[in-house]
Amino acid sequence: MKFEPFALSLSKGWQRLRQAQPERRQAKSERRQAKSERNLGLHQTIAIGIGPALFLGVMLLAPLVRLCAEGWANAPTGLIDTMWHDDYLRWRVLWSLMQAAITCGMALLLGLPVAWVLARFEFTGRALVLRLLMLPFVVPTLVAGMGVLALWGPRGVLNEAILFVLGAGYAVDLRDTPWLLLYGNLFFNLCVVVRAGVDALSQVSASRVAAARTLGASPWRAFWRVEWPAVLPWLASALCLVFLYCFAGFGLALLLGGQRFATVEVEIYTLVAHELKLAEAGVLALAMVVLTGGVALAYGVIEKRLTTPVRGDVIALRQARTSAQRAGIAGALGVLFFVCAAPLLAIVWRAVTALVTNPAVWDVLRDEDVYQALWNTLRFSVIALVLATLLGLTHALAAQRSVGLRTAAFLPFVVSPVTVAFGLLLLYPSWAASLPLLVAAYALLAYPFVAKSLAAALDSVPEHLCQAALTLGATPWRVFWRITLPLVAPALRRGMAFAAATLLGEFAVTLFLSRPEWATLTTLIYQRLGRPGAANLDAAMVLACLLMALALAAFMLIETAPTARSGRKKKLTKRTPSRA
Amino acid sequence: MTRQTIPRREAATRLVAPLLVALLSVGTALVAHADDLRVLVHNSFSLPKPLLAQFEADSGIKLAIIKGGDAGEMLNKLILTKAQPIADVVFGVDNALVVKAMAANVLDPYTGPASQRAAVVSVGSAIGGLLSGGFLPVDYGYVTLNYDRAWFAKQGLALPKTLADLTLPAYQNLVAVQNPATSSAGYAFMLATVAGLGEEPAFDWWARMRANGLKVTKGWSESYYTEFTRNGGTRPLVVSYAASPAAEVFYSKEKITEPPTGSLSLKGGVFRQVEGVALVKGSTQTEAAHKFMEFMRSPAVQQALQTSMWMFPAETGVTRADVMRHAVEPVAFDNPTPDVIAAKGSDWVSRWTRVVLK
Repeated sequence: MKFEPFALSLSKGWQRLRQAQPERRQAKSERRQAKSERNLGLHQTIAIGIGPALFLGVMLLAPLVRLCAEGWANAPTGLIDTMWHDDYLRWRVLWSLMQAAITCGMALLLGLPVAWVLARFEFTGRALVLRLLMLPFVVPTLVAGMGVLALWGPRGVLNEAILFVLGAGYAVDLRDTPWLLLYGNLFFNLCVVVRAGVDALSQVSASRVAAARTLGASPWRAFWRVEWPAVLPWLASALCLVFLYCFAGFGLALLLGGQRFATVEVEIYTLVAHELKLAEAGVLALAMVVLTGGVALAYGVIEKRLTTPVRGDVIALRQARTSAQRAGIAGALGVLFFVCAAPLLAIVWRAVTALVTNPAVWDVLRDEDVYQALWNTLRFSVIALVLATLLGLTHALAAQRSVGLRTAAFLPFVVSPVTVAFGLLLLYPSWAASLPLLVAAYALLAYPFVAKSLAAALDSVPEHLCQAALTLGATPWRVFWRITLPLVAPALRRGMAFAAATLLGEFAVTLFLSRPEWATLTTLIYQRLGRPGAANLDAAMVLACLLMALALAAFMLIETAPTARSGRKKKLTKRTPSRA
Repeated sequence: MTRQTIPRREAATRLVAPLLVALLSVGTALVAHADDLRVLVHNSFSLPKPLLAQFEADSGIKLAIIKGGDAGEMLNKLILTKAQPIADVVFGVDNALVVKAMAANVLDPYTGPASQRAAVVSVGSAIGGLLSGGFLPVDYGYVTLNYDRAWFAKQGLALPKTLADLTLPAYQNLVAVQNPATSSAGYAFMLATVAGLGEEPAFDWWARMRANGLKVTKGWSESYYTEFTRNGGTRPLVVSYAASPAAEVFYSKEKITEPPTGSLSLKGGVFRQVEGVALVKGSTQTEAAHKFMEFMRSPAVQQALQTSMWMFPAETGVTRADVMRHAVEPVAFDNPTPDVIAAKGSDWVSRWTRVVLK
C-alpha cells in the first residue's frame, strides 16, 4: 500500500515526461540560440582555457605519459595479456567499481532527504552544521580510520554496548567486511552530496513550487516534478565526484576493509612506489583513466542537457511547525551525526581525555614544531587555494563550450596520484623538492572542486539577464562581473570550501618529496603516529583536533565572509516568502 | 557611478591581500640553493635540530633535508632519477635494500675514516665486490614481534615459544603483520621467516597463519595504532621493533619503570636491520657529502639517534641512552644475505601475496 503512490507518481511522471518531449526540444533550441550570447566566443574560450589546459598538461598528462614511457621501454612481453587474465587484478577492478557505485547509491538515498531538510527548514545551528559537514575531508585517513574503529571496531562503542546489554558472544567484528568500508566511504563523501543538494534545492524557483501546489500537487509530486529536475544536474555532478573519489580511494579501503578490499589504486601504488614495476602500473593507471574517464565523459555529455536555468525567486527557509517536520529535522541531523559526526567526536573525545589526564600533552600545543606546522599549513593552503580558484574559475568558464574540457576537469581525480608524483620526479628532477611544485600538486588535486561546482552553476545562469545587460550596453566583462559572478558566488564558495578541505587534508602528502621545514599539521600527525608510545598517540589526537578547528575557521571565512558580490546577489535574488 | 566602483575596489583589496601573502611566501622559500647539500632521507629520519644546526655552523655546509617516503619508496625515487640525481647523499638505505641500490648503480664508494673504523654491525661480506665501502652503517635495529604484557597477563596465555606456536588454535586471531609489499618492517619480517625456516616451510607457515586469522595491514602505523591491543585493537602480537618497548617507556604518560610491551626473540622471527648513509652517484658535492657521512658516525649523532629514531648506534663504544635498557637486543636473528635478498626478495613478495592475500 505504501508504495502505490510512489509507483503511480513514477508512471505518471514518465507519461508527463513523454508528453513534454516537444516542449523540451523547443527549449533546447532556444537554449542553443541563447548560447552565443551567454557563452564565450571561440577566441575567448581559448584565451581563458589555455591556463588550466597548460596546467593539466604540465602537471598531470606529461608526468603520466613520461612514467608510462619509462615503464614501456622495459616492459616484459605479453604484459597486457597476462594482466588481462589475472583474476586477482580483475577482482580489484570489479570491486573498485562496485564499492564506488554502492557508495554513490547510498550517498544519494541518505544525502538527498538530509539536503532537502537542510535546504527548507531554519533551525538553530543550521549554518554550523553545513560547515561541520565538511570536516571529514580534512582529517588524515589514519586518524579518521581510528575514529571509525573507536565506534564500530571490535573494541569500539558498539561492541561495548553489545557486551553490556547482551553479554559476550554477541560481539560483531565489522572489520574485514565490506560494511565498515562502505561506512567509511559515506563518512568521507556524504558531505559532497548533501552540500550540492542543499545549494541546488535552495535555488529551486519558489513560484514554480507554489504554482504546482496551488494546482493541487502533493508535496511529493511537487518535489518529483519541480524540485527534482532542478536539482538533478547538481546531484549528478556531486555523485560523479563521489564515484571517482571512491573508485580511486586509497587509504581508507585498506584500513577499514582490510587487504581483501584493496582498490586498484592500492595496486598501482604498490607497483610504482615499492616494486618499481612501471609498465604494469602504467597499464593499470591507463585502464583506470579509460574506465573512469568513460564515466566522466558520459556525464559531461548529459550534464548540459540536464540544466535548467535558475529563477530569481528562491524558496525561503521556514521554521518547522508540525511534529512531522521536527521529526524530519531530527532525522536529518541523526543521519549526519551517525555517519559524519560520530567518528570525529570519538577523536575529539580522545583528545580531550588526553588533555585532561595528561597535562604533558599541553606541551605539544606549545611546541615550536607545531607553530611552524600551523604556519606552513596556512600559507601552503592559501597559496594553493588562490591557484586552485583561478584554475577552477577559468576552467569552468572555458568548459562552457567544450565537453572535452568539461570532462578534463575530472582528470585530477581520475589519474592515480602516485603515477603523477613519480612522473613529476622523472620529468622535472631539478624541481623535485621545490615548494612551487609541491603547492602546484596540491592545487592540482583541489581545483576540480571549484571547476565542477562552478560549471554546474554557470549552466543554470539564466540567459535573459545576461542578454538584457548586453542589450543595455554592458561589456561582456561587466556582464560577468555584475551578473554571472554574483549568481554563481554560492557555488564558487562551496567549491572553494571543498578545495580548502582537500588542501588542509593533503590527501597525497606522503607521495611527494618534502622537506622537514615544510612539515604541515598533517605531516606532524603522521610523524607522531609513526612512533610507539601513548604520548605520541595523544599528541596525534590533539593535533587532529587542531587541524579540524583550523579547517572550520577556514570554512567560516570562505563561506560567510560578506563580500560586495554577495551583498548584491541578495538584491538580485531576493528571498521571497514561498507561501503566506 | 560611485555605487559601482566601491564594490569593485573592495573586491580588489580582498583579492590582493591573499595574493600578496602568496607571493611573499613563495619568494621566501623557493628552491634549494645550488650549493646546499641535499640529503635524501626516509620519513622516519629524525635528529635534534640543534645538532644539525651545529653541523651547519661547524662545517659551513647548508643542509637541505629531503624526505622521500618509506625507505623502499625513497630508494625507488633515487633509482628513477639517477640520470639527474635529486640528492647528494642518502640516509636510510638498509641491508635489505642496499644490493638493489648497488645493482641500480646509484651509489658511489666511500673510503673515509668512518668506513675504516670497525662498526658494531656490518651488512656482511657476502655482497662481495659490489659493496666496496659505498655504504656506511649508521645504526641498526631488530624487526621482531612485540606483545602486550597486560593482555597476556590478563588472559593467562603463555607467550609463544616458536613461530609454529602461532599457528595453533590458542593463538587464533592474535597476530598483526604489515604487508611486505608496502612496508619495510613487513618486508624485513618476511625475509626473517624465509631465512629462519627455509623457503618452503616459511610459506607453509604463512599459509597456516592465514588460516589462523593473521591480520595484514598496509604499514607499521596502521598495525600498531589500530590493531595492537595496547591501542584499542584486538591483536596482542604485532610486528614492530626491538626498541619499541623502550619508546613506550620514553613516551609514556606517567613515569613507568617497566615497559608495557615486550619483544619476542623467536627463530625465524627476527631480522636485523642495518641502516646506513651513502654517497649518491653523480653528486657534485662529494666533499660536503663526506663530511656529512662522518658526522652521522660522530658520537653526538650516535648518541642522539637512539632516542630520536629508536635504533642502536653502529659506532663502537658509544654510551647507550638510559631508556634503551628497555630495548632488549635479541640473542639471534635470521637475515638472508644481502645478495640473496636482492636476487629473490621481489619473488618472495609476490609469493607472499599469493599465499596470504589472494
